[in-house]
Amino acid sequence: MLSVKNLHASVDGKEILRGIDLEVRAGEVHAIMGPNGSGKSTLASVLAGNEKFTVTEGSATFQGQDLLAMSIEDRARAGVFLGFQYPVEIPGVTMANFMKLAVSERRKFLGEEPLSAAGFLKLMREKSAVVELDSKLTSRAVNEGFSGGEKKKNEIFQMAMLDPQLAILDETDSGLDIDALRIVATGVTKLHTPQNATVVITHYQRLLDYIVPDVVHVLYKGRIIHTGDKSLALKLEKEGYDWLINDYKE
Amino acid sequence: MAALTDTIRRFAAVEGDSLRVAAAASQPFVAVDPQQLRVEVAAGASAQLVVVHEKPLASSLSLLLERDARLQVTEIFLAGVSAETEAVQASGSNCCITAVLLAGADASYRIDLDGAHAENSLGGLFLVDDNEHCVLKLRTNHRVADCSSDSSVKGIAGGSAVGEFRGLVYVAPDAQRTDARQQSRNILLSDTARIVAEPQLEIYADDVRCSHGATVGQIDAEAILYMRQRGLSLAQARRLQIEGFAGDIVRRCGIGELGEALMSAVARKMGNM
Repeated sequence: MLSVKNLHASVDGKEILRGIDLEVRAGEVHAIMGPNGSGKSTLASVLAGNEKFTVTEGSATFQGQDLLAMSIEDRARAGVFLGFQYPVEIPGVTMANFMKLAVSERRKFLGEEPLSAAGFLKLMREKSAVVELDSKLTSRAVNEGFSGGEKKKNEIFQMAMLDPQLAILDETDSGLDIDALRIVATGVTKLHTPQNATVVITHYQRLLDYIVPDVVHVLYKGRIIHTGDKSLALKLEKEGYDWLINDYKE
Repeated sequence: MAALTDTIRRFAAVEGDSLRVAAAASQPFVAVDPQQLRVEVAAGASAQLVVVHEKPLASSLSLLLERDARLQVTEIFLAGVSAETEAVQASGSNCCITAVLLAGADASYRIDLDGAHAENSLGGLFLVDDNEHCVLKLRTNHRVADCSSDSSVKGIAGGSAVGEFRGLVYVAPDAQRTDARQQSRNILLSDTARIVAEPQLEIYADDVRCSHGATVGQIDAEAILYMRQRGLSLAQARRLQIEGFAGDIVRRCGIGELGEALMSAVARKMGNM
């Protein structure tokens, strides 16, 4: 589904990603871990199409298409979803109006008929239940005045609404209390199917108790330096990164 | 502007250059391109008035609210008009004004709070583009004690346009316990557009609560990125953000169908910016 080869990317002339190789197949869950500043969020942003970053080398294909040639919105419509580490507040724009446009663009891409007003409301109700998001929040402005937990639930709610092929969740667990973490993580697993794939970026093993990864990668200084199965996350939790990164220290 | 024109056609047209409302009016009044108009709302009566400026004429509007009268005014500027509006409010009256400037107009408001517990709120929005220049002037006079006023003016300027807000809250020496607020918030859409925001206070009483402020910002790039990541085009995201910014002013006019028609007019103008 996603094939990344030798991806290099920089911001303001500074190289952050220095040759990433990543293969994600349908039905898989990948976890990307690594110390702060290793390039995890940059990788997520570059795959989503954030124009702040410049890809200097390498390729990324998504469902056979050249991902890097697509605009950020075209990637979203094609089924790439980025769960933001810091969801943005948009005063005056209601969740309902925002989602109406987003869902309609996604359906247009899939060649599906536009939803009726009643159909859209029904979808909003169903999907807000996935993450136990208070349905009243959908009539409020996007993320405005939402608590940290509500913002992250709202990310997964939007993911449920858009039904992406590939979801990249950037530290969706940061800033969550234990209950919110369980709800958010359970929501993500409910949305997982053999047809889609999830890439979770996280610092902590505790998220992976719920979202069990098939593959765990360690990103360090812009490269994937180690790949393993779910036991790798447990080992990292216990022993830290030192045993892995010593060889790479400059 | 078809939706807007259709909407106001259903309202009661004001005949001549004066109108007196003696009881609660059942439907909104509308005046199109009035050059001179005086509207009186009798004690305890209430009315809604829509004023539309389609032609670039000079206009003078005088509003008189008697004791406990209520009046909602929505003034829409679709042409480069020079318009003056004066509202005189007796005690206990409530006047709510919404001014929407979609052209390089010059709109000037003077509010006289002449009786205790009179309340005035004014919401203004201007949207200018190309070489348009619009000015919204507001002078709120708290002449007696115990009155309140609340104004919020939002401006959006693109192209090489200039948008000006000049506001003044005047509090007379005896106007104790005045509660006055004045806010100006603006968005610049281009490097060559200009905003002039001058909210001012002139206070001669010592027991008052007054606040004012002005901000000028740009389109929030993070919000645009967020919306595009959900599949919205750049144009859709910009429009949604501008509508979000302007929406509370436009929809506050209190006439639901007019608010929606106005919002479409704002969105249409935005679409070309």
